Amino acid sequence: MRQLDLRTAGRAAVRYRLLVLLVLVAIFGSITIGDFFSVDTLQSVLNRATVVGFLALGLTPVLIAGQIDLSIGSILSMAGITTIALQPVIGNIPAALAGLGVGVLIGAINAAIVVIFKISSLVATLATLLIFASLALLLTDSQPVSSPDPIFGIPLTGDLLAVFTPRSAMFVAAAILMFIWLRFTPSGRNLYAVGSNAAAAKSAGIRSNAYIVTTFLISGLFAGAAGVLQSLSTATGSPVAGAVMLIPAITAVVIGGTRLEGGRGSSLATLGGVVALGALTMMFEFNGVPAYTQAIYTGVLLIVLITLDRLVSDDGRPTSRTLRRARVEPPTPRGIQEEA
Amino acid sequence: MTIRRNIVVAASAAAALALALTGCSSGGGGAASADGDTGSVEGKEICYITAANSHPYVTPANEGAQAAADAAGVKLTIVSEEFSPQTGAEQLDSCVARGVDGILLWPLDDNSYLPGLLKAEQEGIPVVAIDTTTGEDSMALIESFVGADKYDQGKISAQQLEKALGGEGGVVIIAGQAGNGTEIARTGGFMDELEASGSKLEVLATVNADFDQQKALVASRDLLTKFGDQIKGVYAEDDTMAKGFQQALAESGLGITPFIIGINGEKGAFESIKAGTQYSTIIQPPFRNGELAIETLIAVMQGETVDEMVPLENTVVDASNVDENEPAM
Repeated sequence: MRQLDLRTAGRAAVRYRLLVLLVLVAIFGSITIGDFFSVDTLQSVLNRATVVGFLALGLTPVLIAGQIDLSIGSILSMAGITTIALQPVIGNIPAALAGLGVGVLIGAINAAIVVIFKISSLVATLATLLIFASLALLLTDSQPVSSPDPIFGIPLTGDLLAVFTPRSAMFVAAAILMFIWLRFTPSGRNLYAVGSNAAAAKSAGIRSNAYIVTTFLISGLFAGAAGVLQSLSTATGSPVAGAVMLIPAITAVVIGGTRLEGGRGSSLATLGGVVALGALTMMFEFNGVPAYTQAIYTGVLLIVLITLDRLVSDDGRPTSRTLRRARVEPPTPRGIQEEA
Repeated sequence: MTIRRNIVVAASAAAALALALTGCSSGGGGAASADGDTGSVEGKEICYITAANSHPYVTPANEGAQAAADAAGVKLTIVSEEFSPQTGAEQLDSCVARGVDGILLWPLDDNSYLPGLLKAEQEGIPVVAIDTTTGEDSMALIESFVGADKYDQGKISAQQLEKALGGEGGVVIIAGQAGNGTEIARTGGFMDELEASGSKLEVLATVNADFDQQKALVASRDLLTKFGDQIKGVYAEDDTMAKGFQQALAESGLGITPFIIGINGEKGAFESIKAGTQYSTIIQPPFRNGELAIETLIAVMQGETVDEMVPLENTVVDASNVDENEPAM
């Protein structure tokens, strides 16, 4: 019983630290910046968080499954230029769908390399990161593609229900749907098993490879969505748009508490991480903190938050690592190699 | 809309009051009461979306903007795009959402700012562009552009190379970031001038080195390997990239001396011109650019009509007048 209390308290605290951060940002922002704590600011933070948010959300199941996808930035660029370049050819909506399709396609390529050729996802997606970043530059001759219909995407960043914009509402809805999938469906829960120990999951009858393929497809789709939304709302398909997006996305996911080792994570925590990071960035900006100094604070914050996460969670609930230690299994770092 | 404006005005008044109470107003002691004259902008807030925090040209421009804002008693918030127009577009949104009184924007591409500019227009927030122009649709929503005529700089550079090379030979172009307004204007002006004058200069290659010395160094190594002594002239679209080419040339040991042209009037370029390793540069004073931009924006905020383009003077510096001029940065 006491154990259970500790566990609940621990979990609450893990979730709490992001809220604490948000409250601190709100308080400090209000003191230092007139008119900071307002619905407009919240709307702006959420709206700005959307693009990184979709990348981070897509990354979450991949990390839970114990894999990583470094190619999401390149997928974003590819999806963005596809959408804008195809707008005059096949129309606005089909072009947006084509952008999503490109995302899924690259996700499928990642999945194939990881599952069929049994190459570590770090290496596989590093390769696709490089390939598609260059391809985006080649296809566009290094020039950003301008949309012939710049008005079409503007409503995406308009007002919706006071705090949202249409695109940030999509982001929050996607986070909630993913939460429901991961938390309340058998397939979602199985994903955690795959990430904790793929071999053990397999022997329990879970088809690990199918799960890993699915996560890469999701990641591709979400990065595609990020690219489509960004390109439509800026009416520009930039071949380098994704180049700077990978690190913020990973940072947001990790601040949310999802572990790179696999087996742990939550899409709502990612949502929290993205919003916290976005609010922090905006507060820094309006306090005139130079961009290069902001990165130092972000780095320090990352370490502090992750340390807190370890302190709280290690004595409470079993992590993937303690689970792995408990099993009498030959040490197979990723487990994928075990698949026949 | 009017109600909304009133809220904004009330909010900024409250912000000004808060500032006054906490005593961190940068307006200075004098404070000739704002109530009397209608045009006063004291205590108003300007959002300045700048290209970068740390860059040889952008940093002094930011300082100039700050100085002009301080002089007028305006609160200036500087946010940096770090050379990403996507970031800038989002920052523009945030600035509009915050309901500032004026926005100074450093555009980095043609279209990305359009949604934000439309919102600014809806909210009645005036926007002035600094240094770089943006797409036609976007410029229609911008009150004024304050900066050097980059297209003209391209033309001047072509004329300088013509003069230096005596009208023939192979040249390479080390261009800025692809798709950037400055890059488009400086390349466009150069090419158009060559064509218009029926020049016999042959452009061997154009490479994009993003206004970065290191990238220019790497690109120049490739150019020197590929073309070697065919390179008689080099058009670098800024002095930092001209420096990169000079480094590559020195380490190549080819023993050729092509004429190198830069732009911006940096201190390093002045030294190179004195040493004879660079042929010329064009002074474009960044501090003054920032100052002038804020002054123009303030004029707009005061309800004055301003020109669509407020140009900075282009001064060519070569060996003949290098001692009479001061570096722009």
